[in-house]
Amino acid sequence: MLARIRRWVVRHRLELALVAPMATYVFGLTLWPVCKAIFWSFSNQAGELTLANYRQLFGDSRFASAFLNTVFIVVVGTFSELCFGLFLAWCLARNFKLRGLVRSLLLVPMGVPTLVSAINFMYVFDNSGYLNELLIKTGLATQPINWASGGLRTLLMVVAADMWKVTPSVMLILLAGLESIPEQLYEAAAVDGATPWQTFRRIVLPLLKPAITTAVIIRGIDAFRIFELPLVLAGRNTPFLATFAYDEYQTYHNIHTSGAASTVLLVLILVFAVLYLKAAKEGDDLA
Amino acid sequence: MSSLTTTARRRAVAPSRQGLGPLAALLLILALAYFLVPVYIMFKVSVSSPGEILRQFPAFWIEEFTWRHWEQVLTSGNLWAPLRKSLVVATGATLLTLALAVPAAYAISRLPPRPRYAAIIALFFTRMFPDVGVALPIAVTFLKYNLLDTDSGLILAHTSLVLPLAAWVLVGTFNTIPRELEQAAEVDGASRLRALWSVALPLARPGIAVAAIFVWLASWNEFTYAMYLTLGKRTLPLLTYYYITRGNWFQSAAYSAILTIPVLLVTLFLQRYLRSGYLSGSLKG
Repeated sequence: MLARIRRWVVRHRLELALVAPMATYVFGLTLWPVCKAIFWSFSNQAGELTLANYRQLFGDSRFASAFLNTVFIVVVGTFSELCFGLFLAWCLARNFKLRGLVRSLLLVPMGVPTLVSAINFMYVFDNSGYLNELLIKTGLATQPINWASGGLRTLLMVVAADMWKVTPSVMLILLAGLESIPEQLYEAAAVDGATPWQTFRRIVLPLLKPAITTAVIIRGIDAFRIFELPLVLAGRNTPFLATFAYDEYQTYHNIHTSGAASTVLLVLILVFAVLYLKAAKEGDDLA
Repeated sequence: MSSLTTTARRRAVAPSRQGLGPLAALLLILALAYFLVPVYIMFKVSVSSPGEILRQFPAFWIEEFTWRHWEQVLTSGNLWAPLRKSLVVATGATLLTLALAVPAAYAISRLPPRPRYAAIIALFFTRMFPDVGVALPIAVTFLKYNLLDTDSGLILAHTSLVLPLAAWVLVGTFNTIPRELEQAAEVDGASRLRALWSVALPLARPGIAVAAIFVWLASWNEFTYAMYLTLGKRTLPLLTYYYITRGNWFQSAAYSAILTIPVLLVTLFLQRYLRSGYLSGSLKG
């Protein structure tokens, strides 16, 4: 066994030497810091091991709401982005005039930094902003709505901003999936007399599954880490796990609770990725 | 009669042979408005007189065009130091990232399938770490070594952030270059490194360029690490955020526009490279 490993290392020594600098860098500036944050979360200032940081977090109502808000954004945000992205990809897979122009225009949010998209939506959702103006002028509301006041409406505001920034990328992933479905399958379905809905449900959706899985995993992971949007739009009233961890460090200078919040976030992301991949796989076996 | 009913029934047709129905077209127009109006509003606010924005019903169309806020941005002197820092950090992070990722990505693409797959999964795995969990220990370490607020500190941090994404894109690039081309050079007496340098690298140039641009933009936009690692010397995104916390709508609109313009131009020019494989690493929420 050892001899085999040695032979393998010798045969691939050039490859290993070329990978080594990057591997060292990733270890030193990503993996090691994460381990340190996890260690801090289980220790106190004297360096003794303790669960006190987690006890403090779980007794903190701000942390509880940060946790729930983050899960809400992941579930509702990712699901809406998936549906919206699927609709846009479905439109772009069709043949119509100005299709190229529409595609380019739909990609505009990808060219806007996340921080700037938060600022753009601040102008829209402000108390005397454009959305309230639209709602009052169309008679849908009589009073200006305070979108940042907390609760469901603030979460929906963050979802709207997140959807704006991210749906184009989801759309591109799904469009690539749609375009890889061979045309003959549609013709075969037509010969068998399938309706458009049956074709969508029985042919397009199953074949689109790998693209959907990619989009959900990538989107879900990033939605857990949402930072700029709530920082600018929601303020302190509506904490999320990432902004909570930032606040613990920057405002309270507590690296231990900040590390604990990051660790909870990391565990959530890992559980989400593993469970989703497993569910997607089991669905495959059934189909 | 029976033939009439079968032709009248709606049949499934390949989407590329279909047009848009009126309902879908209407929804698509609404979607376009949703995507474009916020960007318009940002540019509009940056060239509007305060009177038409800071009132109960802000004006949607430009009523009174003014360069005042842009003049303030360009003449106040606050722009240049952050702009310099952002440019230096983005360029430095791009160079360091390429120096590390190009050789590594080449090597990964030349490994046997199983270790290659393991390396790609490991790269993806690092994308799961929350930024706040990585930035916190880096900030504490940098504090100890006086790297907070420095260009080089932020270059080091941004490189760690974008390295997996760059390697991901580059592995894809090198995968498309057949190993046989290098082997032909080796038959002619070139060493493997020489074959990499004179055969594989020139062929990979377009992919390297795309990776470089993505990395540069990721660093230019980056916010979370910059927040943790900055005390006083802000980058451009931090300066923009500073004006928001000060409640200055017009300055933040103008700075937002400065921040956006390069990213928007590059995104639209390079849109054919925005494929799902590249996106895997570059999505950010």
